[in-house]
Amino acid sequence: MSRDVRIAIARRDIASLSREKTIVLALVIQLFIAAFSSFLVVGLTSLYDPGSVESDQLTFGISGEAREELDRAARAAEVNTEIYPSQEAALEAFREGEVIGVLHSTDTGPTISVTATVPEGSVQSTVTVVQVREVLEELERDERTRRSAHLSTQPVPLPPEAEASPYFGFTYTILLPLLLFLPPFISGSVTVDALTEEIERGTLELLRVAPVSLTDVVDGKALGMAVLAPIQAVLWIGLLSINGIAVSNVLALVALVSAISLVVVVLGTVLALLLGQRRQAQLLYSIVALGLFGAAALLPEHPATVAAKLAVGSATQVTTLTVAGLAVLAVVLYAGTRRYVGSIDPERYS
Amino acid sequence: MRPRKLLRIARWEVTKNAGGIDRKTAAIVGVTLLLFGAVAPLVVAQGGVAIDQGIYRVGIDEESPLYPVVEDDPTFAIRDPGAELGEEIDVRVSFTRAVSSGTTKGEAALSELRSSVTAYNDRIMRGEANQSAAFPVSVTLNYVERDVQIGPGGSGDGGTGDGTGDGTGGGTGDGTGDGTGDGTGDGSTGGGGTGDGNAGGNIGGGLPSITGSSGTTGAPSDIAPPFPFESLVLAFLFVLPLNFVIQAYGSTMLSERINRRGELMLVSPVTRADIIGGKTLPYFAGAMALEVLIVVGIVTLLGAEGGLFSILAVVPLVLLFLSATFLGAMFARSFKELTFVTVAITVSLTTYAFVPAIFTEVTPIALVSPLTIVVRDIQGASISLSAFGFSILPPLFTATLFFGLGAGLYREEDMFTQRPIPLKVLDSLAGRIKRARSIVVVVAMLIPLVILAELVAVAAIYPVSTAVSQTIWLSLILLSIVTIEELAKSLPVYAGFVHNRYDRSLRSALVVGAFAGLGFFVAEKGLLLVRLVFPDSLPEVQQSAVASAGPVADIGPLVAILLLLAPLLLHVVTAATSAIGGRRGRRGYAVGLSLAIAIHFAYNYTVVMLFVS
Repeated sequence: MSRDVRIAIARRDIASLSREKTIVLALVIQLFIAAFSSFLVVGLTSLYDPGSVESDQLTFGISGEAREELDRAARAAEVNTEIYPSQEAALEAFREGEVIGVLHSTDTGPTISVTATVPEGSVQSTVTVVQVREVLEELERDERTRRSAHLSTQPVPLPPEAEASPYFGFTYTILLPLLLFLPPFISGSVTVDALTEEIERGTLELLRVAPVSLTDVVDGKALGMAVLAPIQAVLWIGLLSINGIAVSNVLALVALVSAISLVVVVLGTVLALLLGQRRQAQLLYSIVALGLFGAAALLPEHPATVAAKLAVGSATQVTTLTVAGLAVLAVVLYAGTRRYVGSIDPERYS
Repeated sequence: MRPRKLLRIARWEVTKNAGGIDRKTAAIVGVTLLLFGAVAPLVVAQGGVAIDQGIYRVGIDEESPLYPVVEDDPTFAIRDPGAELGEEIDVRVSFTRAVSSGTTKGEAALSELRSSVTAYNDRIMRGEANQSAAFPVSVTLNYVERDVQIGPGGSGDGGTGDGTGDGTGGGTGDGTGDGTGDGTGDGSTGGGGTGDGNAGGNIGGGLPSITGSSGTTGAPSDIAPPFPFESLVLAFLFVLPLNFVIQAYGSTMLSERINRRGELMLVSPVTRADIIGGKTLPYFAGAMALEVLIVVGIVTLLGAEGGLFSILAVVPLVLLFLSATFLGAMFARSFKELTFVTVAITVSLTTYAFVPAIFTEVTPIALVSPLTIVVRDIQGASISLSAFGFSILPPLFTATLFFGLGAGLYREEDMFTQRPIPLKVLDSLAGRIKRARSIVVVVAMLIPLVILAELVAVAAIYPVSTAVSQTIWLSLILLSIVTIEELAKSLPVYAGFVHNRYDRSLRSALVVGAFAGLGFFVAEKGLLLVRLVFPDSLPEVQQSAVASAGPVADIGPLVAILLLLAPLLLHVVTAATSAIGGRRGRRGYAVGLSLAIAIHFAYNYTVVMLFVS
């Protein structure tokens, strides 16, 4: 009987969410965040990507005393160059739009100083600066090697260039944790709402007339919200997989999200029952939840790191232990909350 | 509105209503803040949060010269080099040779290792006695304006030839410096890229470079492309506190609607404006106090000048947050719904404030957000009056609009009824509709919101413009603009039909549609007038946003009149189309609206293509 009651309450809460279509809104919001952050990264990366500008526009004009060295470095960095006899000639070509930038060098003996001229205020300037840096870093490496006799420590040799996707790190360390942790955060917030709403509207009293205890009510509301977040997590992982982003350790990830959502739901429950008013409870909830997320850095591994490592498939023992620890913590906290709820006199809200 | 009554309500809001902030809450807040205050230094001490900690596994032994590199970078986890490549490790380093597993992860790991080695080399070279051998190349970066216009510019303004550079304030003299650096991030002592005030140096990492708008010559690794780091940090700093404020504000507004609590206030001899103003004032004052503190903090911390413009620029931002929350609280049916509405507001407005981050170097678009003014002010860059106006007026008007629409619902018959949000939106619009003519005013009122939405849409589409063909991004921009405009024209009309303000005959649909089109046309042309008065005030994105307003390039007077009247015809036709559909309920409205969007899109596309080619 008591089980049925709790499930009935949970179902009622979730049903009210879908009736108000807020759950749709929630998914839209998450989709928006995901889209926006991906968009931002893809957009930014494409700004930095030389491939986004036609290659014949990416020829650099080179002049000055060290033009031979510059040319060699540019070739190593796979950048097109055109050698000009003087800086003026190169700058003229720049103004004509024949070259995208000008590298003028002066050999002062101990060092080479390069004046790089790049176009201002356009998408190209970003790409150009990236290319300039690549060429000059190549040059710096060459020159360091040439001066190695004067160095007490030798630079570490550079590994080969890789065909890496620039979004790889972002996807696993930012996008995925964002998608996984946003639903629990909202779940906790909605728990606060679900409870304070009953209290403020005075309907908690009506529920009390029914043959259910306050513990049952809280159980039902917490259950509904705590289940919602992991379901959304599974949804996101599925969506990512469809988009060709392989996510490993799905079970462990779902366990992590479940544990975290239970922890925040407990937080929301306690604050709602303690304060009884949405404004205070909600305000405090967001402060505490954000604070806890920051303070989690004191754990051996931050939950976001745990999520990233699990998803990318670099999980270690510490990762697994953190998930297990969080799960145990969540269960213990929940048990504690139930005891606290049992000790509350429901009359205090009337 | 009487100030005395308004102030009394404000005082009640602080004392009575916030009397809820009782000793218990205060104690919990105190303990919480104390606890986090104690924890924060610990978190900072252990180096903050590195989410990418140990995501790549590298098989390497201590013999390898790369060992210290891998050891120093927390992104890597050290494994036995004998481990299986691909399964247990992603990159194997045998002495100096690094091999990746060949998977996407392995390649990403190798690429990360490469940049890590570069950063490590720079770091050890900094300790060398012979600095000229350690850093044999020094760079001075100059940004020079060119006349050659390449790349995407404004889309529809008939190519009048105002290139990207002619924005505002004498050349794009802002350009935030780069704070993130190239991953070395260890506060390099070297200079940053020099520039004529455009490129910031990446001296040090993080905030200090907000002030460093120009640096000295540095090593190649010190030069960095303009990256919107400051805007990101600032957006975060300024927007985060607002989210807490709107939480409380939304709750207090919605709680008036629960159990008819607000009725007492409504029947008392005060006006609606008094109540809303009084209840909003404490939150506005609180939010402004926080923002001023932040501005003063940044200014003193960085020793920057200015501050006044920054404070003025955050006013519309604060008002926008509060007004959107107010409207949301008027729409929401329950606390749960309010939470989602609040999150939606937070997300969309943060995005809006953050937009300049993407375009710090393309100033005109960056000015969409008032935060750009803050960034420029802190950098000590000059801010022209027109740039300031362009930045703060749209959000200010939008905030007014939101308050106005919400106030329309702040009455007995709307406050205490439960209706789905879409219907409430229609209610708020219908509240302003009395007769056919009023549609002109309602549509014109929506213009600031339309402009803001269009600007944000253009800004959002901008990043992909480099990745896809011109036709695609142009179509995307046009489609979003057209959709926004058609919605603005047709929603009030639809609201009028739903609320039976208009009879559903064909004739009345045509009349109302024509009025809606006229209202939109007049308001839009008002913008063009602004452009004529302040030639610099409307950067090209704005121009592309009002592309359909018709070009004002050098063309004959007859053609000009024709082109001026063509948009009027267009707006009337499309508004009438959706109005005819709107007579027949929701489905009819959807059909009519789609048709109107299609017509509008076809028109805009033709005009733009005509001028682009």
